[in-house]
Amino acid sequence: MSGGPLIVQSDKTLLLEIDHPDAQACRMAIAPFAELERSPEHVHTYRLTPLGLWNARAAGHDAEGVVDSLLKYSRYPVPHALLVDVAETMDRYGRLQLANDPAHGLVLRALDRMVLIEVAKSKKLAGMLGAKLDDDTIAVHPSERGRLKQALLKLGWPAEDLAGYVDGEAHPIELAEAGKDGGKPWTLRSYQWEAVEAFWAGGSGVVVLPCGAGKTLVGAAAMAEAKATTLILVTNTVAGRQWKRELIARTSLTEDEIGEYSGERKEIRPVTIATYQVLTARRGGAFTHLDLFSARDWGLVVYDEVHLLPAPIFRFTADLQARRRLGLTATLVREDGREGDVFSLIGPKRYDAPWKDIESQGWIAPAECTEVRVTLTDTERMAYATAEPEERYRMAATARTKLPVVKALVDRHPDDQVLVIGGYIEQLHQLGEYLDAPIVQGSTTNKERERLFDAFRSGEVRTLVISKVGNFSIDLPEAAVAIQVSGTFGSRQEEAQRLGRVLRPKSDGRQAHFYTVVSRDTIDTEYAAHRQRFLAEQGYAYTIVDADDILGPSLPSVD
Amino acid sequence: MTISLADHLRTLPDESLAALLQLRPDLVVPVPADVSALAIRAQSRVSVARALDGLDQFTLQVLDAARLTRDPLDGATATEAVLAMATAGPRPPAPATIRGAVNKLRALFLLYGPEHALRVVGGVDEVSPYPAGLGRPAAELDPRTAALCADPAKLRRALLAAPPSARAILDRLAAGPPVGSVPPGALQAPPLGAEDSVPPDPTNGGAPTGSPVRWLVDNRLLVLVSAGTVELPREVGLLLRRDTGPLGPVRTSPPPVSATPREAKAVDSAGAGQTMEVVRHTEALLELLSAEPPPVLRSGGVGVRDLRRLAKSLGVDDPTAALLLEVAYAAGLAGELELTGAATTRYGADQQILPTGGYEVWRAMSLAQRWAQLARAWLVMTRQAGLVGQRDDRDRPISVLSAEAERAGAPAARRAVLSVLTDLEPATAPTPEEVLGLLDWRAPRRSRGREAAHREVLAEAARLGVTGLGALTSYGRLLLADMTDADERGSDDPLGLHADAEDGAASTAVRALDALLPAPVDHFLVQADLTVVVPGPPDPALAGELEVVAEHESAGGASVHRVSTASVRRALDAGYSADDLHALFRRRSRTPVPQGLTYLVDDVARKHGGLRVGSAGGYVRSDDEALLAEVLADRRLESLAFRRLAPTVLATPYQVNRMLMALRDAGYAPVPEDASGAAVLARPKTRRAPGRAPVARTVDPLASPKLAGPRLLGVVEQIRRGEAAARAARRAPAVVRGGAARSGPTPAHGHSDALAVLQQAVRDKALVWVGYVDAHGATASRLLRPVSIGAGYLRAEDERTEMLHTFALHRITAAVLDG
Repeated sequence: MSGGPLIVQSDKTLLLEIDHPDAQACRMAIAPFAELERSPEHVHTYRLTPLGLWNARAAGHDAEGVVDSLLKYSRYPVPHALLVDVAETMDRYGRLQLANDPAHGLVLRALDRMVLIEVAKSKKLAGMLGAKLDDDTIAVHPSERGRLKQALLKLGWPAEDLAGYVDGEAHPIELAEAGKDGGKPWTLRSYQWEAVEAFWAGGSGVVVLPCGAGKTLVGAAAMAEAKATTLILVTNTVAGRQWKRELIARTSLTEDEIGEYSGERKEIRPVTIATYQVLTARRGGAFTHLDLFSARDWGLVVYDEVHLLPAPIFRFTADLQARRRLGLTATLVREDGREGDVFSLIGPKRYDAPWKDIESQGWIAPAECTEVRVTLTDTERMAYATAEPEERYRMAATARTKLPVVKALVDRHPDDQVLVIGGYIEQLHQLGEYLDAPIVQGSTTNKERERLFDAFRSGEVRTLVISKVGNFSIDLPEAAVAIQVSGTFGSRQEEAQRLGRVLRPKSDGRQAHFYTVVSRDTIDTEYAAHRQRFLAEQGYAYTIVDADDILGPSLPSVD
Repeated sequence: MTISLADHLRTLPDESLAALLQLRPDLVVPVPADVSALAIRAQSRVSVARALDGLDQFTLQVLDAARLTRDPLDGATATEAVLAMATAGPRPPAPATIRGAVNKLRALFLLYGPEHALRVVGGVDEVSPYPAGLGRPAAELDPRTAALCADPAKLRRALLAAPPSARAILDRLAAGPPVGSVPPGALQAPPLGAEDSVPPDPTNGGAPTGSPVRWLVDNRLLVLVSAGTVELPREVGLLLRRDTGPLGPVRTSPPPVSATPREAKAVDSAGAGQTMEVVRHTEALLELLSAEPPPVLRSGGVGVRDLRRLAKSLGVDDPTAALLLEVAYAAGLAGELELTGAATTRYGADQQILPTGGYEVWRAMSLAQRWAQLARAWLVMTRQAGLVGQRDDRDRPISVLSAEAERAGAPAARRAVLSVLTDLEPATAPTPEEVLGLLDWRAPRRSRGREAAHREVLAEAARLGVTGLGALTSYGRLLLADMTDADERGSDDPLGLHADAEDGAASTAVRALDALLPAPVDHFLVQADLTVVVPGPPDPALAGELEVVAEHESAGGASVHRVSTASVRRALDAGYSADDLHALFRRRSRTPVPQGLTYLVDDVARKHGGLRVGSAGGYVRSDDEALLAEVLADRRLESLAFRRLAPTVLATPYQVNRMLMALRDAGYAPVPEDASGAAVLARPKTRRAPGRAPVARTVDPLASPKLAGPRLLGVVEQIRRGEAAARAARRAPAVVRGGAARSGPTPAHGHSDALAVLQQAVRDKALVWVGYVDAHGATASRLLRPVSIGAGYLRAEDERTEMLHTFALHRITAAVLDG
């Protein structure tokens, strides 16, 4: 027994005890091939997946090295069968190669002929493979590149993609680190650099960084690296404008070089920002805006908030395999379980950092999460008890008892900018009246939204009530307190994204506060527990307090 | 010859005879009556085969040399001749080695007699007909071939003339065995007159001859010994072996193992990790068996679907699950349970596989002890788990635990393979091919044809953690040594006096393994996401507690559990209180208990028992609380054991009627109510005898009945009707009356005619005479007016009775239109 920090489980999870002196070294050793699954306070969980092992192979790690690091840091004997399995899994990578043949274009080439015969027979590949050129080579139509790779991955014979990327139409883009138009000079943070480097070395892939950790800058730096025309896909128009603002401020790009392709405007410029919504809009059953993908010879496609990628975009992305693709997200948890598709079509996870690490480096604000439990009045309890099952969550989440609690919470932070976030419009209106605060919701016009956000940023408006539209990509650096009153049932990523609204580092290093107000003894509590899972796994421990303590005269001391 | 071996044995001193018996113990089962019986047995096919099975490749080759150098006339050979032949090859072994082998053979009495007149015992030729893989001498096969062989120059020329494909066949046969089967037709000459049409064959020297075998037979290099079998004569074989020597390649020592030795620590560590897996999987498997016992098939064993289910739940592949099940069964941890009639499963099986009582004992042992019990069972079990899933002789799949997977030779195969590993340097990891090569050298006769079984042994040893990274682990080595010791002790201790010493001795392996395995831990780490991590194997008390309070999530060196609402509720159901749970987490956790967990426990505990369920015989309810209080306090009603459920409800375990009576006796006025709450009113029932008719006025039997009025008229009408009916019946045509008219159309014909008539009658609404057979088989006829025909029935009106009748069509024999 070496007494190392790592415990290898037979279900291929790795438990890393982080208080161990070797924990940091061990993390560096296993990070290339194991995926971080959970990072609560004492024991982090990594998982060995075929995908992760193959990515490690692609990045030049061999099975021997993987086995060595497992044995080196493992506290207990590692089962022989698991080591064999790791070696065998890694050995499957690269038996097939996708390569450019000077005469035949894209081809699938086998280093192991039996594998080629096996996959060529598979029904899942029917129609993707072209003519057989010789015993070891089969022609592939370039448009099938993505689908073929995905199918081969599912068959367990991942192909090494040696066909490379098209450069796309060149366009000069530089990072303006010296400061632009009188702005202050700045530099890319170390983890942002690491993320860009990891992405560029891998060609395509997903970068996972916490909300507020500057994902836009990672995108900008990737563009500066590519120096080519770029298509940026974002969730909504406001987010698109934020991207535009940021790009103008932080790169050499000017206003005229950046186009907006949304419901309102249809500009195609060297750098074009389009919304998912407009791309997936159908007219008469046909997707009318797909030409955008071929409108220019894009050198880079950036997917913002890639965890929200709608299904049709998945399909188009399969056709874009020759272009560099960068996915950005904070929370790669999809309630539909399609994380695997994101990895296989956009690319593997190239960079991932635990939230608490970034927090300890000071790049995101330290946050304190508090769950405030409200006891319903007897009338409300009775109404809840007799409600139809599908109405219950709404009843519990929108209980009027929450209003005074929210008010009390707002009053606890008289000097902070407060966001009140909810999922039910009716409740938001009640809150708006009760708190005398403006509301931003789905029906608010873009212009009005921008005005309100600007007012909030400038401090003119201290409290803002926002609906689900505030879940993503809204840059409100000064918000330091978020109060969540209701949400989309048990969505884990919504919770994380909402916390992300207050994680931008504050000018004075203040702490951020995230409150979630739930009704005790109702389904609201259960959903809250589920919603908190992702953040709990990231090491955010929720403190539970009783609403009476908040409403009461003395402020409770929160440890 | 028999006599001479017997004579030879008779001359031996007692020690030498005892030495022979020790070397070949099968000779004394049963004890032979005298020396000649012993000699006969020592030359018997079975005994010789056993003796040969244990010999290594080199000794067998020396024996072959002795056989080949026998004088054709008196069958004797000499050590010198053997030496000469064995050293004829390109790399001659040292004479001393050969002498050693000869002495070994003499000790076994496979060779006997003085050095200058060695004889081979008779059974050897029966057991292996072709010494050194060479055929019989040409003289025994075919005179013409013998003639060819007698002339070495000619023979050489004939060989050199052989076309390449024929030469390939010769080389194969020369390497042994010297007989080959010929595909039918290969020896046929091309049809007469069509020789030219046979295309020239480039592999056959361009000559248009048929097959290469035919060429060889034609040229006397091969001899056709029976239809479809050819043999290579010894002389030709020896000539072909001039490069390797007459005995083929001679190897005096086992083939070397090239594998680089691994780090002993790494080997032990990988093996120990695997032992943990095996024990954990076995435990999980037995738990699965107990949760859903698989039925035993009629043909024995557990069905493939059940095996798949077990494998899937365990997260292992089917062969592993089969191995674990077989080992657990062999170790006495699982067994069949006979089902009595009523409990028969839906498969119609009457036995199920369940964990045995021994499982409980096993579960309480330490990890290493548990593993040792499994490994020991595996070593001695006469089961070949690798056969499961393959097909038997009758092409039926072999199922796990069935009789088809029984192989008596399995333990010997395991011992053989593991002894190869034991004899290598510690932590040497040979490839499976090298192990097979070593086995092949050590006992070629035993290992040939068992390569698959030997490979399986290697795979199973790795799976069970006996080996790690391909090398034998230190504790595996100790376990094998323990078992060998135990065997030896057993032979010295026929009465089993020291059997109890085995446990103490076996524990050296257990102790060695114990040192490698992580020590049990008695604490855990609780985290904010409500996971509980036990950083090592939990000690039994902790495991028991966790099983109740948390859901199992991941297992291995450590185990991860998650506390959920359901698991806390389960703990509360099992008798823990919220305080117990808090105390448990505080006591066991090395880290501060997160607030979320405290709240979870409190929340669930608060709601736990919020609803109460029970049973009662009856209840008393009243809106008047005071009245109920009075009932409760009434001493006369103490026997009813009332319990106050609510201010307005009392419950009693006794039935409603008893309660009613008691309450009424006590002077209360209860009203019973039914399940829906409605009052049940019960009036006292007066008892009555069954009703009977009063006595009527007696009728004078002598007085004649008076007939008058309507009654009289009725009688008359009845008579008239009867008369009309009789007349009508008389009028019925003969065909219809039946019986009388069998001379008419055949019944079938009549039936179809009748149908036609009836159909017409339905259309015409005409009267028809219908003859039919009634339910009693009697024929009858009626005058009817058909109304409809359908669904095999005729509906018709009887004019006289004015009733609608229904007749089954198949009963109708005839129909004739009236008139």
